[in-house]
Amino acid sequence: MSTPADLLDDLTADLDALFVFSPSSGFYDRFEDLDGEVVVIAPENVVDAETFVELPLEFENVRDRIKFGVEGAMDRGVVDDGDEVGCVVSVFDDHDSLVRVQADESMHSGVYDLFANSRADPGVIRDVFEVVIELGKKGQKGKPVGALFVIGDAGKVMNKSRPLSYNPFEKSHVHVGDPIVNVMLKEFSRLDGAFVISDSGKIVSAYRYLEPGAEGVDIPKGLGTRHMAGAAVTRATNATAIVLSESDGMVRAFKGGELILEIDPEDY
Amino acid sequence: MPPMALQPGFELGGPLGAVPERVWLALAVFVLAVVLAWLVVKINAGLLRRAGLPETIEGTAFERTVRGIGTSTVAILSQLSGWFIVILGAIVAISIAERSYAEQFWSQATGFFPSFFVAVLILIVGVIVGDKVELVLSERLRSVKLPQIGIVPTTAKYSVFYVAFVLALDQIGVATFALVVLLALYTLALVVFTVVAGKQLLTSAAAGLYLFLNEPYGIGDEVKIGDERGIVQEIDLFVTHIESDGEEYIVPNDRVFEGGIVIVHDG
Repeated sequence: MSTPADLLDDLTADLDALFVFSPSSGFYDRFEDLDGEVVVIAPENVVDAETFVELPLEFENVRDRIKFGVEGAMDRGVVDDGDEVGCVVSVFDDHDSLVRVQADESMHSGVYDLFANSRADPGVIRDVFEVVIELGKKGQKGKPVGALFVIGDAGKVMNKSRPLSYNPFEKSHVHVGDPIVNVMLKEFSRLDGAFVISDSGKIVSAYRYLEPGAEGVDIPKGLGTRHMAGAAVTRATNATAIVLSESDGMVRAFKGGELILEIDPEDY
Repeated sequence: MPPMALQPGFELGGPLGAVPERVWLALAVFVLAVVLAWLVVKINAGLLRRAGLPETIEGTAFERTVRGIGTSTVAILSQLSGWFIVILGAIVAISIAERSYAEQFWSQATGFFPSFFVAVLILIVGVIVGDKVELVLSERLRSVKLPQIGIVPTTAKYSVFYVAFVLALDQIGVATFALVVLLALYTLALVVFTVVAGKQLLTSAAAGLYLFLNEPYGIGDEVKIGDERGIVQEIDLFVTHIESDGEEYIVPNDRVFEGGIVIVHDG
């Protein structure tokens, strides 16, 4: 006679670390006495966990969420290449699944790198993502809209681009994440060209025509000029580009000339 | 029809008739004061609530303590005004009923009485403001991961307490000269330390303010400040980040005024 627990034994056998995603404090208490590493991965460290990886977005896709957590933990040296990790995640209800993964190079998608090791502050990239996702969901007055944000290394980006018209953000000191700015960016998103945002989140310019060399930029075929320009500028500078596609409504992030993350705004 | 004789008043018979009119008047004044007090309590509570007091002071130690004993800050503050009116009414009533008695005892007490209430009010407000200051400061400093930083909110809290305490004592006429001198010395020390320690920061901030308003150079311009030449990456209130060949200089803004800036056009 065997029970389901026996059959699933090998799922929990010899785990090097246990990752708990967005636990409530009551739920986390159950893990505290566990031998071995317990890592909390959540938007905020509400349970005062010792090892904590900040989740900048509540990734709807569970694979993305787990990849982000594993990458973050590997980056901090909490788990090593080849470690077996159990992930307690929520798919339908609160913490209803256990996923066993092996931490290795194949988990490395660069999503963690995109947030944690970019030139710009992680909070700034997160704020821009939020704006872009909202823009992608609602569009401009109900119509789909495209947008291109170049974040970080603003000095270099400004030198590799030229203005298409007067810069509406000239002599202004607004930062992404300020309450009124989301509305402003939405309004300005109908302008052509890119938004340039500095490391600390200051909106430097709108209406920029990016002109970096596009040699050697390898992005999936079928993406338009906006994506190409975004990818190319991240290759020529240390910036990160977040692009909202007008045609398919997807949000894509580029770094170092490569497509790092692709998400559907409707999932958030 | 014979005209009806209207009775202009009525005479109380029995033992109640023996009570002098003055006492009835005093009783009426007292009842009026109680009714007025009740009204004032209701109106005050409503006003304080509408002014958003409960949300503002939520989480302060004072509010938590009074919640613990089953009341709230709003109730205490509004009831304080009620008690003030009731006691004032009682004093007036007693002085109407027993003139000589009142003159002997209450003439001093009535003068003292309003200041006492103001003193209590100042103390309560001081305690709440102090708690709130501590809360706000510690919230602000939470991102600073330095254990010793906890002393800053606590110091601020007790400073506010101290000021409230001195003000309250002053209200009820206790000699507070020494305490005021102590307060002045403390403030002076604080100001002197801030100026001495933060001189560089203050001048940088002043220069930064000028840069913010006039923006002589912006992000992306190539500039030379002192010996450093490069592309401006970031300007904030205190410093300017200049980058060239992968090296990022962080230049305090007061240097901009000391040495001037060179803006390089088409270098």
